Amino acid sequence: MVSRALGRGGLMAILVAYTAFAGFPFLWVGTMSLRTTTEIAYNHYGWPSPAHWAKFRAAWIDSAFNTYFTNSATVVIGSVAVITLVGAAAAHCLARYRFRGNRLVYFILFSSIILPPQIVLIAVYQTLVEYNLYDTLWGLGLVYVSLQLPLTIYLLEGFFARIPQDLFDAAKVDGYGDFEIFFRLVLPVGMPAIATTVILNFILLWNEFLFAVVLISDDELRTLPVGIQRFMGDHFQDIGMIATGVMISVLPVIVVYAFFSEKLIQGMTAGAVK
Amino acid sequence: MATVQLESVSKSYGNGPLAVDSVDLSIADGEFMVLLGPSGCGKSTTLRMIAGIESITSGQLSIDGRVVNNVPARDRDIAMVFQSYALYPHMTVADNLAFGLRRRSVPKPEIARRVREVSDLLGLAPYLARKPSALSGGQRQRVALGRAMVREPQVFLFDEPLSNLDAALRVNTRNELIRQHHRLGSTMIYVTHDQVEAMTMGNRVCVMNAGRVVQIGSPLEVYWNPADTFVARFLGSPPMNLLELPASTATSGTGDWCRASNENATVPLTLWHPATLAPYAGKQMIIGVRAEDLRLGPPAETTSTGRLGWLHGRIDAIEPLGAETLVLVSANGTEVTARLGRDVSARVGEAVTLSFDAAAVHLFDPVTTKAIARER
Amino acid sequence: MPGQVASGPSAWRRLFQPGTGGDTSGASWLVLLLFLGPALLVFGAMIAYPMARTIYDSFFTIDDPDKPVWIGLANYVTLAGDETFRRAVLNTLIWSVAAPVLDVGVGLLLALCLFAKVPFTRFLRIAWFTPVLLSYVVVAIVWLWLYNYDWGIVNVMFRAVGLGGLASAWLGNPHLALGSLIFIDVWKWAGFNMVVCLAAIHSLPSEVLEAAELDNCGWGGKLRFVIVPLLRPTLLNLYILAFVAKMKVFDLVWIMTQGGPLWSTETVSTYVYKRAFAWNTFDLGYPATIASVWFGVVIVTVLLLNRLLRSRERVEF
Ligand SMILES: Nc1ncnc2c1ncn2[C@@H]1O[C@H](COP(=O)(O)OP(=O)(O)OP(=O)(O)O)[C@@H](O)[C@H]1O
Ligand SMILES: [Mg+2]
Repeated sequence: MVSRALGRGGLMAILVAYTAFAGFPFLWVGTMSLRTTTEIAYNHYGWPSPAHWAKFRAAWIDSAFNTYFTNSATVVIGSVAVITLVGAAAAHCLARYRFRGNRLVYFILFSSIILPPQIVLIAVYQTLVEYNLYDTLWGLGLVYVSLQLPLTIYLLEGFFARIPQDLFDAAKVDGYGDFEIFFRLVLPVGMPAIATTVILNFILLWNEFLFAVVLISDDELRTLPVGIQRFMGDHFQDIGMIATGVMISVLPVIVVYAFFSEKLIQGMTAGAVK
Repeated sequence: MATVQLESVSKSYGNGPLAVDSVDLSIADGEFMVLLGPSGCGKSTTLRMIAGIESITSGQLSIDGRVVNNVPARDRDIAMVFQSYALYPHMTVADNLAFGLRRRSVPKPEIARRVREVSDLLGLAPYLARKPSALSGGQRQRVALGRAMVREPQVFLFDEPLSNLDAALRVNTRNELIRQHHRLGSTMIYVTHDQVEAMTMGNRVCVMNAGRVVQIGSPLEVYWNPADTFVARFLGSPPMNLLELPASTATSGTGDWCRASNENATVPLTLWHPATLAPYAGKQMIIGVRAEDLRLGPPAETTSTGRLGWLHGRIDAIEPLGAETLVLVSANGTEVTARLGRDVSARVGEAVTLSFDAAAVHLFDPVTTKAIARER
Repeated sequence: MPGQVASGPSAWRRLFQPGTGGDTSGASWLVLLLFLGPALLVFGAMIAYPMARTIYDSFFTIDDPDKPVWIGLANYVTLAGDETFRRAVLNTLIWSVAAPVLDVGVGLLLALCLFAKVPFTRFLRIAWFTPVLLSYVVVAIVWLWLYNYDWGIVNVMFRAVGLGGLASAWLGNPHLALGSLIFIDVWKWAGFNMVVCLAAIHSLPSEVLEAAELDNCGWGGKLRFVIVPLLRPTLLNLYILAFVAKMKVFDLVWIMTQGGPLWSTETVSTYVYKRAFAWNTFDLGYPATIASVWFGVVIVTVLLLNRLLRSRERVEF
């Protein structure tokens, strides 16, 4: 009995400790984002009183956060849309049609999921320079599409292949052609899987750093992750201001997470749960 | 309204064996044709070729006199009801019904009218706004049926549409389908492996086995005159009893008559001319007798209608089914089932004699297993 | 990154099946091309071509992008004697082997805690998952502060409990820097692995666990003899996933230490980046050589891992 209670208590202690470990850094930055650097220097772990909400406005105005935001949103939304459409079409084709080379294409795409992207980094850079796409959001978006396309096709193919063939036959008998079937049957029926890949791609690309830092040099075109790094450089000692910037960049994701946590978790773990 | 004609139609998947092997089948306008056969015999494949979902490897398929081998499904004017229903999961019942019409540029008011008409007819009106996932099995089935009916096609195809329903619902829907066939008068092709459905629904039944057509005929014709031992055993429950006995000629007061017999059984073959059977003399014949034609007890000597057959055996098991009793008798190593009345006094292990009328005997060629036609 | 690799038993099995179920009536090539063409185009232009080009570039000195100079295998010879590269490979391998063990191990333990019917499971699951959502840039900034020598929480806590002697410059000490970075990685990824493990545990047939209960298995026994063996495919899958992700680790290192101090945290990715874009050497040929060699290493390791995976799979089923 005693050992059971002890075990229970130990378990609870672990849970509390880990929750603090996982959550503390974020909450700490949250408090710092509302305090001035002077206040922080006096006591790094104090509660914000008074809370300096004005810092958020200052950070937003003072730096190019709105530019970074717009750039990130443009490039990420654009490439996620393209990835979804192109990926779904390819996945449908691989899942539903029999043709010579079907499995070969699948195998090649599947293998390229494992390739570390920095292998192609230099050549991608050279290629974009040659096509005058270096330092443009178009170029970055194109690279983003190629980064996430294989995984997207892989995930969607698995789902689409499980749609019963009878549905397709029924649609054919009902008079629908290949493309109508794709748009009016596959996309709606595959929506849960598509939503999952959209979330996964969105988060991964929203946080992408390596290609963003290599392929963009114009400050006007920077995406959020690189922007924050810049911001950090500009406000080297101004911890309070950096904390505010960090919070600004994190809030959208957290807000979305607050509403769609289950779907988000599902999307993020889609590649691993089998 | 249309005829459907298959002329030596074959199908093989990839380089595999023939799934459907030169099928000849001609279905009249307004006919209800049932394709019957065991699992994997190629019924669905045949149906799907008619629908245009599966390509035809060789042979010719015509609908209403027009060769449609290379006409895509959407231009064949057919509707199909699938075993799995294949309802579009993301659409409401109303949209499911209308989906096939929208593609065919039927005017909107006309679509609405037909959907209303069919849903009233099938009792689907209360569910029009629901998704298929919120319907019971029977309701889904009716939606699938309705989806075919709103199309008002030339030909209806059904692929085991009732096999997912429970027994009571199956009977209801079966009757509903028969009614609809009478009302619409369209050509219908119906795939099933359930012989009750085949017997009750079809104008004609086409029995298939291993990709080939074995027999085509009206349900009773197929039941009473099976073309070979396969059909004989496939139709009827319990299946027809088959015995192997040597044929011989006997002489009696009325002249020569043929029979097949050994020490435990005698089967009079009076329905055939002795001349027909002459080549078989001394050979093992396959004799078929349906379970319901067997009676318990030795043959009374004084029957006028000709001779009675009999066989000796020992009772292996007795299965009382309520309205009737199945008695399994092993005779010389052959298992024979008799379908008897409610009250059977016999015991398991008892030695018994079963008798039957000469008119109940079916005869099959021992090599080809084809039926030898009766002549009297 | 999560979900970047999706190898797994089922994936491989499907790969070697003939076609997937479906349309046998042979759609026209035009239809296939329209469906598959865009994807193949992107793949060819942005993955296959750059890969071929990287290998091609590795035989040149490219000071001026317009005038590459053919130097044969000279880059490879240089690379063979490159101390920094050797250090980077070693560090990357330490990352790739150690970090996944910790990620998956901690994730599994957390999942087991949540499986033990504690209150607020749903909340804890969501809370512990949060670090996964943060970008590496943010994670790096926050942990730079947490590791701060004077006021970072790590040292503050050591001093508070009287272990001030243990307080260190976590990122400034060449002996500690790599471990400190891997620790952050575990912080970020344990929640992800926890969610996957939890889902896998919940999908275990409950009869098996009940049977173990009847056999009077304690928690330890259940864990060792029932749960871990049954979860092995999932754990293996997670390990490979993490392994491949660590082979390309860049963001965290670049922002926090830039490979320092004294190359103690240099990884292949950061080294490629430095040689290509950050040093004033202006030669794209040499980093292309590094990338090519690394490409070979990755392929070989992944093939080895897959061999492992497939032979295990046979035991599994
Ligand atoms: N897509 C396919 N690829 C290869 N072989 C197939 C395919 N579809 C069916 N077959 C084969 O063709 C034969 C006939 O199949 P079919 O589906 O027509 O049988 P069925 O009579 O409808 O059986 P059931 O009553 O079980 O539905 C079977 O041997 C089956 O294995
Ligand atoms: Mg079938």
